[in-house]
Amino acid sequence: MTSLAAPRTVVVRYAPLLILALAWEAASRLHLVSSLALPPLTDVAQAWIELVQSGELVTNGLSSLYRAGAGLALAIAIGGALGIVMASSRPVNAMLGPLVELFYPMPKSALIPVTVLWLGFGDGSKILLIFLGCTLPVTIGAYNGARGSDRHLIWSARSMGAHRLRMIWDVVVPSALPELVNGVRTALALSFILLVSSELIVARQGFGYLIGYLGANGSYEAMFAVVLTVAFIGFLFDRAYQSVVERVLRWRE
Amino acid sequence: MAGVTDTMRRLAWSAARLAPIVALLAAWEIFAHSGAVTPFMLPAPSAVAQRIYDDAFGGDLFINIGVTLYRALTGFAIAAVGGVLLGTAMARNTAARWFFDPIISVGFPMPKIAFLPVVILWLGLYDVSKITMVVLDAIFPVVTATIAGIASVEKELLWSARNMGAGDRELLWQILLPAALPQILTGLQVALPIALIVVVVTEMQMGGYGLGGAMMQASRFANSRGVFAGIVEIAVIGYGLVAAMALVRRRLLMWHQEAQEGASV
Amino acid sequence: MSGPAQIIVKDVCHHYRPSVGRDVLALENVTLEVPEREFLALLGPSGCGKSTLLYLIGGFLPIETGKILVDGKPVTGPGPDRGIVFQNFALFPWKTVRKNVLYGLERQPLRREEREKRAQAFIDLVGLTGFEESYPSQLSGGMKQRAAIARTLAFDPRMLLMDEPFGALDAQTRSLMQSELLAIWEKTRKTVIFVTHDVHEAVYLAERVAVMSARPGRIKTVVDTRFDKNDPEVHRTKMFVDKVDEVWNLVREEAIKALEKRPS
Repeated sequence: MTSLAAPRTVVVRYAPLLILALAWEAASRLHLVSSLALPPLTDVAQAWIELVQSGELVTNGLSSLYRAGAGLALAIAIGGALGIVMASSRPVNAMLGPLVELFYPMPKSALIPVTVLWLGFGDGSKILLIFLGCTLPVTIGAYNGARGSDRHLIWSARSMGAHRLRMIWDVVVPSALPELVNGVRTALALSFILLVSSELIVARQGFGYLIGYLGANGSYEAMFAVVLTVAFIGFLFDRAYQSVVERVLRWRE
Repeated sequence: MAGVTDTMRRLAWSAARLAPIVALLAAWEIFAHSGAVTPFMLPAPSAVAQRIYDDAFGGDLFINIGVTLYRALTGFAIAAVGGVLLGTAMARNTAARWFFDPIISVGFPMPKIAFLPVVILWLGLYDVSKITMVVLDAIFPVVTATIAGIASVEKELLWSARNMGAGDRELLWQILLPAALPQILTGLQVALPIALIVVVVTEMQMGGYGLGGAMMQASRFANSRGVFAGIVEIAVIGYGLVAAMALVRRRLLMWHQEAQEGASV
Repeated sequence: MSGPAQIIVKDVCHHYRPSVGRDVLALENVTLEVPEREFLALLGPSGCGKSTLLYLIGGFLPIETGKILVDGKPVTGPGPDRGIVFQNFALFPWKTVRKNVLYGLERQPLRREEREKRAQAFIDLVGLTGFEESYPSQLSGGMKQRAAIARTLAFDPRMLLMDEPFGALDAQTRSLMQSELLAIWEKTRKTVIFVTHDVHEAVYLAERVAVMSARPGRIKTVVDTRFDKNDPEVHRTKMFVDKVDEVWNLVREEAIKALEKRPS
C-alpha cells in the first residue's frame, strides 16, 4: 500500500540508497576505484545539468518516451480487447489460445532485428517492437481477469436484460481490472526494457542512442548521467502507475 | 478399453491445440507466396526452414545455441543461488532487510539493460559482462519470491520443528526453504525467460557468437531469412527452457501438486 | 490431585503486541498446577488466551512476568519434552507420513532400525497403517490429524500440548477422533493439556477442566470431570449431562462478556 508515509519513515526506508550514493562519491574521489570507470557522483550530476541545458537530454528523452508511449498504448488497447474477447468467446479462445501460449515464452528482444529490417532505425521500428512485445502480457492479464468474473454477477446482469456487449462493459471489465492492471504493469516495465534495448543497438535518437554515443565519445560522466536518468524514469513511472491505479481502484469501491 | 479412449481423447485434444498453429503456418506460407509482400519483407516458412537446416548442418547454429545457452544458464544459476541466499538473509535479518529493501524495490522496475554500457566499461566485451547483465536482471524476481515464500511459511511448521529439537540451522535448511520452495520456484520460472532475453540483447549489442549476434549479423546484411530463422531458433529455445522448468517444478513439487489437481500455468 | 505437580504456572501475564495499535493484555495472573499423567482441558471463549497459555508452556512465546516450571525447571524454549499438536496439523507437506513421524525421532539416540520400528508402531497405533508413503495433501483432515498425533507421540515427550486439535474436522470425524484419543491416552497415560472451546469435548476427554475467563484471561474455576468414560453411552448419563451443564454455565458468563467486549 503506497499511502502517504511520514517523512521520517520515508527517509529511513530509502537511507541505504543515500549511503550507496555517498560510498560512490567517496570511492571515486579517493581513487579507491578508477575515476574513469566510476566518475564522482557530483561530476555526473554536473554533466546531467549540462545535458539538460543543452537540450540533448530532453530531445532524446521525448523521442524515447513518445515511442514507448505509442507502442504501449497500442498494446494496451489491442491486447486488452483481445484478452477480453478470448475470455468471452469459446471459439475465439480455441483459435487464439494456443497461439498466445506459443508466442508468450518467446524472448521479445528477438524481434529487434526484424522490426529494423521492416521499418529502419527510426520511430516506427521501436513502436512496432514495443507493441508486439507488450501486447501479450496485457492480453493474458485481461484474459485471466475476465475469466475470473463472478458468474453470479454475470447471471444477474443477464437476467436484468443486459445484452452481451453491455454486460461485458458493466460486469466483466470491472472485475477483470486487478489482473488487467497487473498485466499492464508488466507491459510497462517491458516497454522500457525493449525501448532501451533497441535504442542501444539500432537507433539515431533516444536515450539508448545517447548513452551509446556518449560512451563511444568517452564522455563517461554524461553517459552515467543518462543511464541513471533512464533507470530512474523507469522506476518513477512504475511508482506513478501504482499510485494512480490505487486511487482509481479505491474510487471504484 | 478405457485406456484407448483416454489416449484418443488426449490425441484429439493435442490436435485441436495444434490446429491454430498449423493454420497460422499455412496462412503464412500462402501469404508469403501471394505476391502481396516481397520475399525480403516476409520470407516463407519453407525458406526459413531451409535456412535453419543450412545453419544446422553447415553453419554455426549449434555453436551459437551452445554459447547463448551457456551464458544464459550460467547467469541464471548465479542469480538463482545468489537470489535465494540474499532473499533468505533479508527475510531473517532485519539489518539486511533494511539495507537491501530500497535497492530491490527501486531496482526492480528499472530497465537494468540501461546499465549495459557501464558493465561493458567495467568488465569488457567478453562473456563476463554478458553473464553479469543476466545476473543483474534475473536476481530480482528470485529475491522477491524468496522473501515472499519464507514469509508465508506457517509458524506452526517452524514451531513443530523446534518442538522436535531442531536447531537454527536445521530449521533453515530442512524446514524453511523446503516450505518456501513453491514460491521460490515461481520466482525462478520468472527469472529464466528474463535471462534469455537479456543474453540475446547483450549479444546483439556486442556481436560475436551467439544467437543474438548471429541475428544482428543477418540484419546488417539485410538477410531477412537469417533474421526470421533467428527468431524461430530463439523462440524454440525459449519454449524449451520454459517447458523444462515446468517439468522440474512438477517433479519437485509432486507433493504439492497432489493438492492442486488441474491448476493451470 | 493425583501426584506431584509436573507443570506449575504462577502469576503469568502476557501481552499481545501487534505491529499496529496498542498492546492488549491477553493473560492476567494465570496460576495453575497440573499433576503428572493428568488429562487437563483448558476451556474458554474465543480470545481468552487459552492457546497463548499453551504456547507459553510449550516455550514458543517468551514469558514476560510470572514463572512456568516443568518438572521443576523453568521453561526457556521449545523442546521435545513437551510435544505439541496444532489445529492445522502442521505436517511437513513435502514429507510422507513416515518421514514426518521419523523427523522427531531423528534427534533421539536410537539406532536406525529402532527408529523405523517406533515410527511404524505409532503409525499403526493411530490407525494409519498402509498410508506410510502418502503425502499429507493426499490425506483427509482426520487422517492428517492422526498423523500429527503419531508424529508427536513417536518421540516420547513427557507431556502432550494439544491446541484445539479437532477444531478443523467435521463433527463426525471429531467425535471419532475423541474416542480414539481417549483410547490412546489410556494406553500411554501421558500428561495432556488440551485446549478447546467445546464444552462437550472438554468434559468427555478431560479429568479436570480449567475454565478460563474472557480476556484478559485468568483461570476462573477448575471442575473435576473424572468418571468412567469407557461406557459408550456415557454422553447420555445423568452425571455427564449435569457436568456439562455445570461447566457450560461457567463458560457462558465468560462467553457473553467476550461478546460484549468485541468491537462492533
